[in-house]
Amino acid sequence: MTTPCEAFSASIGELADGTLAPAERGRVEAHLDHCASCRALLADLEAIHREARQLPRAEPPAALWTRIAEGLRTQGVSDGGGANPAHPGNTKWWLAAAAAVVVLIIGGVLASQITRRGVTPETPSSSTPPANASGNADATGLVESVEADLEAAEKHYERAIAGLEKIASADERSLDPQVAATLKKNLEIIDSAIAESRTALRSEPQSAPARESLFEALRRKMSLLQDTIALMNEMRKGNQAGTAQILEGLQKS
Amino acid sequence: MGPSKVQGREAEAALVERCRRGEMGAFEELYGAYAGRLYNVACRLLGNPADAEDLVQEAFLQAHRKLDTFRGNAALGTWLHRLLVNLGLDYLRSRAGRTAHATAGMEDVNVVPFTRPETVAERIDLEHAIARLPDGSRAAFVLHDVEGLDHKEVAAVLGVSEGTSKSQLHKARLKLREMLRQ
Repeated sequence: MTTPCEAFSASIGELADGTLAPAERGRVEAHLDHCASCRALLADLEAIHREARQLPRAEPPAALWTRIAEGLRTQGVSDGGGANPAHPGNTKWWLAAAAAVVVLIIGGVLASQITRRGVTPETPSSSTPPANASGNADATGLVESVEADLEAAEKHYERAIAGLEKIASADERSLDPQVAATLKKNLEIIDSAIAESRTALRSEPQSAPARESLFEALRRKMSLLQDTIALMNEMRKGNQAGTAQILEGLQKS
Repeated sequence: MGPSKVQGREAEAALVERCRRGEMGAFEELYGAYAGRLYNVACRLLGNPADAEDLVQEAFLQAHRKLDTFRGNAALGTWLHRLLVNLGLDYLRSRAGRTAHATAGMEDVNVVPFTRPETVAERIDLEHAIARLPDGSRAAFVLHDVEGLDHKEVAAVLGVSEGTSKSQLHKARLKLREMLRQ
């Protein structure tokens, strides 16, 4: 059997939203005047609604569009199509590239740490738990440690983004468009390799070959981005010899 | 606030037409307009960023495959949200088949005040509580209370009536209230 308060519950929800019909509103407010329990319900529903709207928002990772674009190409979408009003010029690309440099530098540090831990799990340190017979403690400690490192890297990433936006907007026209297109294409190929490695790692988190493959792709991307930024600097300075030297190195790599 | 970020039906129709012609730039524009909101919905629907990335990717690829079925009756953003949420709910159903995904019943919710979530730690509790909602109620709550869609839009995304949308949302809020006071 429905109690009087239960009969008002849904209307109180609509009152919290501000969507309750005026005709119903008076009846609900009359009940609230003498029912502390329903007043508490209204206050709580309003608090939940308010807090839900203030939850932090996540940004999709820069590599996600690369993955989607690769998938769209396999479905027949062409790169030669129309303009891109959402990403005018090369600003977004350079922002993503510059951000990726920071992420990958951090990633390189992480990679070396993770690789060290992965290669020598039998070497305990003062900060790692002792191994048990099954090795589960090592695996758990490793996962927790890596997660902590990734969280720290994410914070560095967010701080770096603000500064990199200025760099990206200032340097977007430094490169010859043809060179920029070639470099972008190469980066997309490496991003695809990174995405594949991450997919493999998700299905087999303990796989050493998958981890090595990911770090190798990350190292290649870091190297290419470092060369790209050096190239931007040389082109902006008008140093033809330096530009030619870097381009020659890029063609060999 | 609604899910439409490409302003105006004419602009939407023009963008859809360019996407139908297979222009990568048009898809990148589509991604730029909607990926942020879709990714947030996906994160809270599935509970982790890695699955959310896969879901957003599949939603955009499916959008390309199904673009001919978009008639413009609903806003483009609503149509994309619907693709994403349907894929997400399908995924959750298959995941539930593989794992013992505990979903508490929605009945017998007590009416007891709880301490309002006002600190970061309590917001994390709210996130955890959202993740523990039954799938259908969670989708309604995320779309309405977190993303700010109105009930007409939520109903269109979920393929239900506005009354069902209101009912699912209210059940979700009562369940959250119960979990947060524990």
